[in-house]
Amino acid sequence: MGCSTGDVIMIRKYLIAGAAGIAMVAANGTVAVAQKTTLTVGLASADTGVLDPHMNSATPGKSFMQQIFSGLVRLKPGEISPDQIEPDLAESWTSSADGKVWTFNLRKGVQCHHNFGEFTAEDAVFSLKRAATRETSTFSSDYAAFDSVEATDKYTVKITLKSAIPSLLGVVMNYHGGQMVCKAAIDQMGNDGFRRRPIGTGPFAFAEYVPQQYGKLVAHDAYFRGKPNFRELTYRLIPSDAARDLAFQAGELDLVYARQDQRAFARLKETPGVKALAMNPAEMSVIHLNMTMPPLDNLKVRQAFAHALDRDGIQQFRGREVSRQAVSVVPSGYVGTLANAPLLPHNVQRARELLAEAGFPNGITLKTIHTTLPGMLNFMEAVQAQLRRAGITLEITPVEHATFHQQIRQNLSQVVHFQAARFPIADVYLSQFFHSRATVGTPTGVTNFSHCKAADAEIDAARSEPDQAKQIALWHEAQRKIVTEVCAVPVNEQLQMWATRDTLDLGYEIKGALNLGPAVLETSKFTR
Amino acid sequence: MTAFLVRRTGFALITLFVVLTIIFLIVRILPGDPAQVILGDQADAGSIAALRTRLGLDQPLAVQYVTFLSGAVRGDWGVSLVTGRPVIQEVLNVLPWTIELTVFALLIGAAIGIPMGVWAAVNRNHATDYVVRIASLLGLSFPAFVSGILLLIGLAIQVRWFPVISGQRGTWTQWLQSLVLPAINLGLIMAAYITRVTRSAMLEVLSEDYVRTARAKGVPWPAVVWRHALRNALIPIITIVGLYLGVLIGNSVLTEIVFNRPGLGKLIVGALNQRDYTMLQGMMVIYTLLVVLINLATDVIYSLADPRVKMQ
Repeated sequence: MGCSTGDVIMIRKYLIAGAAGIAMVAANGTVAVAQKTTLTVGLASADTGVLDPHMNSATPGKSFMQQIFSGLVRLKPGEISPDQIEPDLAESWTSSADGKVWTFNLRKGVQCHHNFGEFTAEDAVFSLKRAATRETSTFSSDYAAFDSVEATDKYTVKITLKSAIPSLLGVVMNYHGGQMVCKAAIDQMGNDGFRRRPIGTGPFAFAEYVPQQYGKLVAHDAYFRGKPNFRELTYRLIPSDAARDLAFQAGELDLVYARQDQRAFARLKETPGVKALAMNPAEMSVIHLNMTMPPLDNLKVRQAFAHALDRDGIQQFRGREVSRQAVSVVPSGYVGTLANAPLLPHNVQRARELLAEAGFPNGITLKTIHTTLPGMLNFMEAVQAQLRRAGITLEITPVEHATFHQQIRQNLSQVVHFQAARFPIADVYLSQFFHSRATVGTPTGVTNFSHCKAADAEIDAARSEPDQAKQIALWHEAQRKIVTEVCAVPVNEQLQMWATRDTLDLGYEIKGALNLGPAVLETSKFTR
Repeated sequence: MTAFLVRRTGFALITLFVVLTIIFLIVRILPGDPAQVILGDQADAGSIAALRTRLGLDQPLAVQYVTFLSGAVRGDWGVSLVTGRPVIQEVLNVLPWTIELTVFALLIGAAIGIPMGVWAAVNRNHATDYVVRIASLLGLSFPAFVSGILLLIGLAIQVRWFPVISGQRGTWTQWLQSLVLPAINLGLIMAAYITRVTRSAMLEVLSEDYVRTARAKGVPWPAVVWRHALRNALIPIITIVGLYLGVLIGNSVLTEIVFNRPGLGKLIVGALNQRDYTMLQGMMVIYTLLVVLINLATDVIYSLADPRVKMQ
């Protein structure tokens, strides 16, 4: 069997291409580059989750989608305090004296991505109604107090509430359900199509998503704040800490979700050309004690559990620069956090005495179902060691993360360790974790694992209290009651660690990122 | 040959059907709720129930099974519960990556493993034999993620010949760069495996009478080893390589994760973590299909390697 001339030419072409390829591989990195206008971000996950801002509450998803969507208002970039709210799609807003009627005046001429037209009041109304609907939103309960949302004209949105809520602006900002989608896109593509090609009004438009690989965004040149400097953002999905770390070292990532531990953080801080960031909001580790299960139905046993824990020891274990001690059952820095909550101090002797008084002089054994996620499991093993000193044996059943989430909602665990950050207003944490409405196993259940109902009255009263001072006093009282009842033991707050090249100028000073990843603005750029 | 292929295809279809049923049941027996995973930890029970209804997960198991099976017969694997994209499209997106990685790993494994195994066999109980045996043992016992990280530190960080993130397409150079390190990483494990099998197969063949006869007749030793002995030793090698290839496709997940490369293994793990039932089902079927095809190909190669093997 011979080769034709064409075959020979083809083979020669492949050989030349192969040889050239190998030569270039060996000589990698010798090409001069112009000022970089692309940014590559490394996320610690294999997937962003569903690409719908109203359904995605996962860290990588939020970080990615914050670039695509705007809110009626937004938090000042780099801030996480709700008192730092500024206009976004709405230029201005007013509210009635009783806080029940809110009117937002929208910017004119804001363009949806990919030529889906102007963003108007109709889009805002559609978006908020969508966020308030169970079938299309994870965050529908945030909008339970909404009575009506209407477009009074093309650029005016009027929201009427059944009762005042702690932060109306918090549910219309570029966070969770407050992210504004473009109606025309969903009308044309349907919800499923939209989730494959999300359309918003943010500085970057969706370009491509390759599961397990990356999500790509391109500059939205018609962005209402101006044309973005970066032309392209790529969010690489790299679940392996080591691989992400190496890719950052090799210069293949410009901004990276760093390994979440003290040693890695210290190393990054000392690396030339690198900025290490420990950012808010911190995720608070709270140990919820199921008060319907013996022996945790006994207050003395729960108090013994609280006395057995050493918050300072845990902070030392997790790292002083990357974590802090919990101060209350609401994370520190939230509006309404009781900074001096009467948490029971570490006292092993007192813990043993309380157990004896409760009828357990020889100690107790508790069982917990726990996720296998290493950061959380290490924490729980440290807790386990501390409890042992007080005569409390904690048997940990490690299960895979999805199983963990299912089983802790089925009342299968006496003790539940949950780590979370929420919108920084006390009401959210209190309502989701400590109000009886949120008790797991009930139709309205969310994450009240302890079956706590110690402060329902205060949480409800605070929600509709128009006077902020009184509202905060009610939240404080709620925290005192929950702490006294020992529904849960708050232990530690873990900051979010990120690293960037020092040549990356985000365009703002970063103290935190509510969407759990630094926002890239239209002004963000490389300085050299 | 035709009868053989028809019979094997029939067996393959039965295997597929059984696998489909088992997979359907297994993914639903697993604890963990896809609706909970999709909606995240802030969703209330009502929202989760609503999503379960929308996804059809509240339907009786029998109804879900019939829907799944009728879709499968029509070639419709449904859409991913998480991304909403057609499963078949997601699988086809990563399949070329898996195939190229596996094929290159196999070539590297065979190119290193067969000569090493032969070399060790002909030098039985000499220093070279011990060195090869220890090296292959190390290759087998070294976790893929450790060797992957070492390769990255050495060749991507220190000398910067290759990228850390391998999942990149584009030019020939980028393709080659993205493939070399992961293929070496998997190929070395495969080489260790093939070395050991080749050595033991060769030892058996080298003690056969016809080898002694050939040597007595004055056939040069290299010809005895490479033409007569190796060809006869190939059957167990092909068997092992065929079996191992199936395992390799699934086991390449660690390599895919470390080198940030798409692939079936990584997709399966992702779907498992997210309880993406439809995606898991689709991928397992493709995976089963690949294994069946590899076995079929192995059988065909037997007859090519050894004319005494008939397709019956």
